[in-house]
Amino acid sequence: MTPSPEAVLRQHAETQFAEELDALAKADDRRRPPSWRLSPWAVATYLLGGRLPSGFVVTPKYVGDRRLMEVAVSTLATDRALLLLGVPGTAKTWVSEHLAAAISGDSTLLVQGTAGTSEETIRYGWNYALLLAKGPTREALVPSPVFRAMATGRIARVEELTRIPSDVQDALITVLSEKSLPIPELGDEVQAVRGFNVIATANNRDRGVNELSSALKRRFNTVVLPTPATAEEEVEIVRSRVESLGRALDLAVEAPALEQIRRVVTVFRELREGRTADGKTKVKSPSGTLSTAEAIAVVNQGVALATHFGDGTVRAGDLASSLTGTVVKDPATDAVVWREYLETVVKGRDGWADLYRACRERL
Amino acid sequence: MADAPVHLFGIRHHGPGSARSLRAALERLAPDVVLVEGPPDADELLPGAGHAGLEPPVAILVYAPDTPRHATFYPFARYSPEWVAIRYALERGVPVRFMDLPFAHRPVEADDVPAAEADAPAAEGAGGDPAPGDARPGGSQGPAAGAGPDGPDEPGEAGEAGDAEGADGPGDDGALAGDPLGALARAAGFSDGERWWHHVVEGRRGDDALVFAAVAEAMTALRETPARVPAEEARREARREAFMRKTIRAALKEGFQRVAVVCGAYHVPALAAPTARGVASADAETLADLPRTKTAAVWVPWTYGRLATASGYGAGVPSPAWYDLLWADREGAPVAFAVAAARLLRAEDLDASSAHVIETVRLAEALAALRGYGAVGLDELLDATRSVLCGGDAAPMALVHRRLVVGERLGGVPDDAPTSPLQRDLAAQQKRLRLPASAVEKVHDLDLRQPNDLARSHLLHRLRLLDVPWGEPAGPGAGKGTFHEVWKLVWKPEFALPLVEAGRYGNTIADAAAAVAAERAGSADGLAALTAMLERALLADLPVAVEALVAAVHRRAAVGADAAQLMAALPPLVQVIRYGDVRKTPVTGVDAVVDAMVARIAVGLPSASLSLDDDAAAAMFEHLVATDRALALLARADHLEAWRGALLRVVDLPGVHGVVAGRAFRLLLDAKAFGRDETDRRLRFALSSGVEPAEAGAFLEGLLADSGLLLVHDTALWGHVDAWLADLSPEAFVVALPLLRRTLATFTSAERRQLGDRATRGGPAAGGPRRPGEHDFDEARAARVLPVLATILGVTLPTEARS
Repeated sequence: MTPSPEAVLRQHAETQFAEELDALAKADDRRRPPSWRLSPWAVATYLLGGRLPSGFVVTPKYVGDRRLMEVAVSTLATDRALLLLGVPGTAKTWVSEHLAAAISGDSTLLVQGTAGTSEETIRYGWNYALLLAKGPTREALVPSPVFRAMATGRIARVEELTRIPSDVQDALITVLSEKSLPIPELGDEVQAVRGFNVIATANNRDRGVNELSSALKRRFNTVVLPTPATAEEEVEIVRSRVESLGRALDLAVEAPALEQIRRVVTVFRELREGRTADGKTKVKSPSGTLSTAEAIAVVNQGVALATHFGDGTVRAGDLASSLTGTVVKDPATDAVVWREYLETVVKGRDGWADLYRACRERL
Repeated sequence: MADAPVHLFGIRHHGPGSARSLRAALERLAPDVVLVEGPPDADELLPGAGHAGLEPPVAILVYAPDTPRHATFYPFARYSPEWVAIRYALERGVPVRFMDLPFAHRPVEADDVPAAEADAPAAEGAGGDPAPGDARPGGSQGPAAGAGPDGPDEPGEAGEAGDAEGADGPGDDGALAGDPLGALARAAGFSDGERWWHHVVEGRRGDDALVFAAVAEAMTALRETPARVPAEEARREARREAFMRKTIRAALKEGFQRVAVVCGAYHVPALAAPTARGVASADAETLADLPRTKTAAVWVPWTYGRLATASGYGAGVPSPAWYDLLWADREGAPVAFAVAAARLLRAEDLDASSAHVIETVRLAEALAALRGYGAVGLDELLDATRSVLCGGDAAPMALVHRRLVVGERLGGVPDDAPTSPLQRDLAAQQKRLRLPASAVEKVHDLDLRQPNDLARSHLLHRLRLLDVPWGEPAGPGAGKGTFHEVWKLVWKPEFALPLVEAGRYGNTIADAAAAVAAERAGSADGLAALTAMLERALLADLPVAVEALVAAVHRRAAVGADAAQLMAALPPLVQVIRYGDVRKTPVTGVDAVVDAMVARIAVGLPSASLSLDDDAAAAMFEHLVATDRALALLARADHLEAWRGALLRVVDLPGVHGVVAGRAFRLLLDAKAFGRDETDRRLRFALSSGVEPAEAGAFLEGLLADSGLLLVHDTALWGHVDAWLADLSPEAFVVALPLLRRTLATFTSAERRQLGDRATRGGPAAGGPRRPGEHDFDEARAARVLPVLATILGVTLPTEARS
C-alpha cells in the first residue's frame, strides 16, 4: 500500500514541487522538445528560481552559477547525455533529481552505482520463475530503470557512475550512441523513444575508482559543480535546505538563527579552503571534504537537538558535537587540525566564545 | 537627412558588426569624401593603408619628434569601422581625411609638464596600455589609443567625456562615453555589444541607414543628461568636436556633395549641425590659441593582445580574436571557433575529435536558444567548449581564452611604408638575420660561433641598450662568456615608441646604441657603472663605444678611485678581455687599463682594508672574492703576484676587520702561498686566546664562509678551531656563537653533516681521521668476560683468548 504523501519521509521532487511544476507548465509557452513536460527555459527557471508573469514565485533549487545549469539543461535538450561531476556534497544528485522531475515528471528511474552493480541493472533481468515456465518471453523480462526510460522517453539517472565496474559501464555505450538496447534472447530490441536521456553523476575526488573509458566519456557533456563560490550563497543553501528538511521532519518551525548557520558555514569554508575568510590566517584542512551537504546535516542535527532537548532555539552547544564529529573524520590527524583551528581562529573571534567553549568541551 | 550633404555614421570602435553595417551603408551612399575620426597629423599615412603589405592589427603612432615621449597610438584591426572606411575610400579613389583634433594641438602643458610627466606616458605606452584615458575611450574617440600621453598630454583625446572614467568602471557616465553602444547593450541585457549590434541589425532586416539613425537617436538621448566629467576633460572634448565640425565645414566648402563622417557614436549628436548659425564662430573661439607642436606619424605593427580591454586600452574590446572570426564570416564564426578550439586542445594532447566539435556547436546553439538569443555568441561557445571539449575542466579554458578569444595575431607593416629610420633598420635586420618579430614567446639558443647567431646576439644586445627588451637573456649561459646564449623573444607593439625615441641618437640601430652607450658613459657616476656599460657595449659589438668607454675607464681609474671602486670595476673588464676572443670584437687598450688597475688595487688594498665597519667589511669581502676570481681567470702571473703580495700585507696588518683578514688569508691559502708550518703558526696566532672572541669569530667567518670543505678536510685547521673553541670561557663562547652560527649557515647541509659527525666522534685534536677497527677499550679487561660468555653460549674459546 502506498502511504499518503505526507507520511513519506522524503518525497520525490516531482511530488514535493508539484505545484511549481504545474504553474510553470501553465506559464510555459515555449517550444518543448519531444516528450518534455516543460521547455528548456522553464526547466532552467525551475532549477534557478524566478517569478512567473502570473506572479507565482518559483523557489531556487540550485544556488550558484546560472550558466552551469543552462549548460546542463541545454545538453539534455540536444539528446547528449549529461555527466555531473563534483566533490561529495555539491548537489550533484539533487540537481539530477530535479532535472529529471522537471523534464520527465519522474525522478525515480534511478540506477545507484556501486561496485556490485551488474549489467542487469542497466539492461534487463529475468523473472526466473516465468522464464523457466514459459521460456524467454517479453513477460519474463524484468526491465531496468534505463530500459523503462528508453521505452517511455524519460530521463534515466545513474548515480555514482565511476563506482560501477568498467565492463558494466560499457553497457551504457550502446544505449547512449545507438539509443537502442538489443535483447538477443528474444531477437528483439527496445528503441529509445524521443525524450530519453541519461543523467549520470560522479565524484571527481575519487575519480580513480573506475575511470570512465574515453568511449563513454565522449558521449557525455560534462558539467563540474563547484563548491559554493561565496559564503552568502552557501549560507542561503544551508538555510533553505534546513528549513525544508525541518518541515519534513516536523522539527521546530522557528527558523534556526541565521547567525548560527553563518558560523557553521564559515567554519566549513575556512577549513575547506585552508585560510580564514579575511585571508589573513592560514589554517590546516582536515581529511574530509566538508561539503555543503555536511553543513546542512550539522545545522539540521542542531535543530533536532534544540527541538527535542532544548527550548527550540539553536545554540552553540547544539551544534558543537555534530560539528566536531563532522570535522574530525580521522581521529589521529583531524583532531589536531580541529584543535588548532579552535585555538587560533575560533577563540579570538568576537562573539564566538560560546562556540569555542562548547567545542572544547567535546574534544 | 538622406539628401543632406553630410552623413554621420556613429560607430563602435573595433566593432565588426558596426564595421559591416558601415561598409554596406557606404556602398549605398557612394560618398565623394570620407572623414574619419583620427589624427590629421597622419593624413599622409592614409594612402599606405591600401598597401597589400600593411596587415592589421596596425596602429598609427603620432609623436613629436622633438620630445618623442609625447606620443599616442591609434590602433586598427581589420574589423575596425575606421579601417573599413579608409579602405573603402582608397579602393574607390575617394578622398579620405582624418578629422579629429590634430595631435599637434594637444595642449602643451603636457610637454612642459615636468620630465616625470613626460616619462609617465612613455612608461605607460611601454607597459602596454596605450592610453587608457585617452583616446579610445571615447567611444567617440577614436581609435586612438593614446599612447601614453594620456594624461596631460593627450588630454585631447581623453576627452571623451568621461573616457578616463570609462576605463575605470563600466556603468558610470564614463563608461557611457567610452563605449556608449556597449552600455546600451548591457542595459538591454546583452553580454556583449557585438551581439547586441547583430541583434539590432537583424531585427531591422539589415537596413543599415536606419541602424545609424537609431544610433544617432540613442546618443542624442544619452547626451541629454550631461556626463559628470572634470572641466578639463569637457574642454578637451569640446575642442575635439569643434575641430571635427570645422573639418566637415571645410569639406563642404570645397564642394563635396556627399560627405561621409565616421566617428564614435558618442560624437554624432555634436556633429549633427556643423553649419548652423553661429556654430562656426563659436568653434573658432574654442579652437583659438591652441598650442602647436611639430609632429610626425608612422605605421607600427600592433597585436590583438593590445587591443583587448584587459590590456588596459580604454577603447579595447573584450575578445579581439573572436571579433576577427565574426568579421571574416558572421554565420560561420561559431563553427570556426569550435574547430579552432578542438585543434588547439588536440595540440595539447587532449581528446578532441570532430564529433566533439559537432557536439560543441550543437550545445552552443541549444544554449543560445535557451537564453533567448537568435545567434550563438561567445559566451555559449565558451560554455559549450568547456563542457564538451574540456570535460568540464576549467584549466584548458585559460589557453582557449588566450589564443582564441584574445588572440596573438601580430600585424605587419611593409618595408617601404613611412616608418622611422630605426624601425626600417630593424625590419631589414630581422629579415637578414631570419629573426622575425612574433607576439608569441619563443626561445632561441644562439651559438656564438655561428656568424648569423653572433649577429643576432649583437642585435638583441643593442636593442636592450635602446630600452627595447625584445629579447631577455634566459637560462644558464647568459652572460657567462660561453659559446651559447639563450634568449627569450616576445615582440610587443609598444616597442615602437622607444625605437622612435631612440631615433634622435642615430639612424641605424648600431649607431643609436653606440650613441646611447657613449651618453651613459658620460653620465655614469662610478667606475663600476662605467665598466658594466663597457661590458654591455662589448656584448652589443659597438667598437666605437667600447673605445670611448675604455678611455673613460682609464681616465676615471687614474683619478682618485679608491681600491674598493677599482675592485668593483675590475671583473667586468676581465670579462671584456675574455669575450673579446669569442665575440671577435677587437679590444684594444683594455689590457693596459687592467694592468694599471691591478697595480693601483695592489697598492691601495691594505689601506682600503683598514677601519671598516661590519657592512663595509662584508662589501670588501665580496670584492676580494670577485677580484680574486677575475684575476685567476685572466691568469697573468704578474697580476697574481702583485695581488697576492697585497693580500699578504692585509693579513699581516693589525686592525683589519676579521672578515677581511680571514678571507685574505683564505685566498692565500688556496693559492698555496704558505707552507704547512707557516699556516699553522698564522692560524694559531689569529685564534690565540689573546684575540677578542668576536674578532676571532669574524676571522673564522671570513676564512670559512661559503665553503665548509676546508674545515672538513684540513685536519690542522680543524684542530686549531677545535682547540680555540674548547679554550673559550663561557662568556666568550656566548659572544662568538652568533658569528659561528652565521658562518656555518653558509655551508651546504652535507658539509654540516660531515662536520657534525666529526665533532661527535670527538676531536682527534692532532690525529687524522680514525682508522676503522680502532677502538678505545681495554682488551685485557674485555677478555675477562669471555669465559662466562663461552659457558653461556656453549662454545669453546680459542686458546689465546683464554689466556
